[in-house]
Amino acid sequence: MPSVTFLPVDAPPIIAELLPDMTLMEVALINDVPGIIGMCGGICSCATCHVYVAADWADRLPAMTQEERAMVDALDRAGPTSRLGCQVRLEPGLDGLTVRVALPE
Amino acid sequence: MIETAPPPLDYDPFDYRQHDDPYPVYRRLRDEAPVFHNSRYDFYALSRYDDCQRAVRDFKTFTSAQGTSLEELKAQVELLINTDPPVHSRLRHLTAGLFTPARVAPLEAAVRDMARALIAPHLAAGRIDIIDDFAARLPMAIICRLLGFRREDEDLLRGWTDTVVHRDEGVFAMPDEGMQATLKLYDYFNAELADRARGASREDIIGLLMAAQAEGRIDHQGVLGYIYILSIAGNETTTKLIGNMCYQLHRHPDQFAEVLADRSLISGLVEETMRFDGPTQMMARTTTRDVALHDRVIPAGKKVALIFTSGNRDERHYEHAERFDVHRNPRDHLGFGGGLHACLGAALARLEARVAMEELLSTLGYFAVEEEGLARMHSPNVRGFTHLLVRFVAR
Ligand code: HEM
Ligand code: FES
Repeated sequence: MPSVTFLPVDAPPIIAELLPDMTLMEVALINDVPGIIGMCGGICSCATCHVYVAADWADRLPAMTQEERAMVDALDRAGPTSRLGCQVRLEPGLDGLTVRVALPE
Repeated sequence: MIETAPPPLDYDPFDYRQHDDPYPVYRRLRDEAPVFHNSRYDFYALSRYDDCQRAVRDFKTFTSAQGTSLEELKAQVELLINTDPPVHSRLRHLTAGLFTPARVAPLEAAVRDMARALIAPHLAAGRIDIIDDFAARLPMAIICRLLGFRREDEDLLRGWTDTVVHRDEGVFAMPDEGMQATLKLYDYFNAELADRARGASREDIIGLLMAAQAEGRIDHQGVLGYIYILSIAGNETTTKLIGNMCYQLHRHPDQFAEVLADRSLISGLVEETMRFDGPTQMMARTTTRDVALHDRVIPAGKKVALIFTSGNRDERHYEHAERFDVHRNPRDHLGFGGGLHACLGAALARLEARVAMEELLSTLGYFAVEEEGLARMHSPNVRGFTHLLVRFVAR
């Protein structure tokens, strides 16, 4: 089964089935990943889906839009591999992707 | 001292009398019955912030697929709002990219022009009905523009969409008029789609949905349902938000003065009104399994009302939750729901509400609400005024 792994804060890793065409945020909600809230439902306006992508995966994800970039840059906890989970569309090639869940802002 | 026992706790969103001020009942629900059962209609209600938020996230337990009103879903076409993943994700992804803050931002000038044009004829009289003359027209005009409908059809469409959300007192189902209005809307959309199919394609939401249909990603009924939900969802609620903002300013003169002096507080006014007095009171879900919560069990297959505006006043989540404060800036309120079904049009609604207030304040200045002329709409889900007359210094 192609999968993505979520590393929540202070909770065991969650290995979730990679559902193509869903977003990382949606797959996190389907698997009840703690810390990913998805408050705005994916319209890029709440950042409650903030994750840090494992360094070796960061370049292999679809590029950020300007809008996602601006949202991420405004976050206090932004890191070099920060992404908004709702803006990352999954495809089979991302089998094995690992992301760490960010603390709330 | 004589103590009178409080009346028995009852939450009945179909009772008109509860619409004037539902908040005392909400508070009692949160404190006394966080899992409330309405035996008259056999549904449950969650009223605390945490419980509502958990429920919107946990769509596997709290499904939308049996409808999101307490009334039984009359199987019509598949609507975005009444689906679960993977169907929901497929539908939502079709348009979600068009509703981000950056994508709706270019509409600002159009919203402002329309707002000005609506206010101007009333300036000399020093009196305007914030709802009828202004707030009821603005969102429909923008939605019509987004969907590419003719301006002269706005009133017609608004009449139908208003009828769809109206409920007669004590009636637990969509009245016949509502069904007829729904059918009229579908006829209108069908004619519109047929028109477009004959002419050149256009690059707007409907154009995008038709292209998706051509690629087999959505069927004709699905397109109709999509247009329907976009017309319904974005109309009434934004109207009521603008009315509720004006009313809350009137009720809080100190903050009215502050916002007039510093227009940068208007975004805070929008957000705090969404929290404190948001138009969408409640959305429903259906349990897919027995749910044990607060020492009670909600059996599988029951409708559950998620009372968002009660969660928004939960003192377990917000400090001084029952106090209105434009400085609070709560970005985690449930006024637009949350999770996968969170309001698709939230960025648009925020834009419209902010620009509407900017224009109202800069043209009217201070205004006073004629309290005796206030009238409310009646719907189990949406709360707000149908008439809100204000007076201001004529110019
Ligand atoms: C102040 C104005 C508004 C309020 C208070 C509001 C409120 C809400 C709420 C609470 C939901 C969640 C429903 C649920 O959880 O079952 C929702 C969903 C939705 N809203 Fe809004 N809304 C507003 C404006 C708009 C506008 C302007 C549009 C225009 C496009 C819109 C389109 C939608 C759609 C399409 C959904 C369904 C999303 C889905 O199921 O994925 N809304 N809205
Ligand atoms: S879910 Fe709101 S920005 Fe991703």
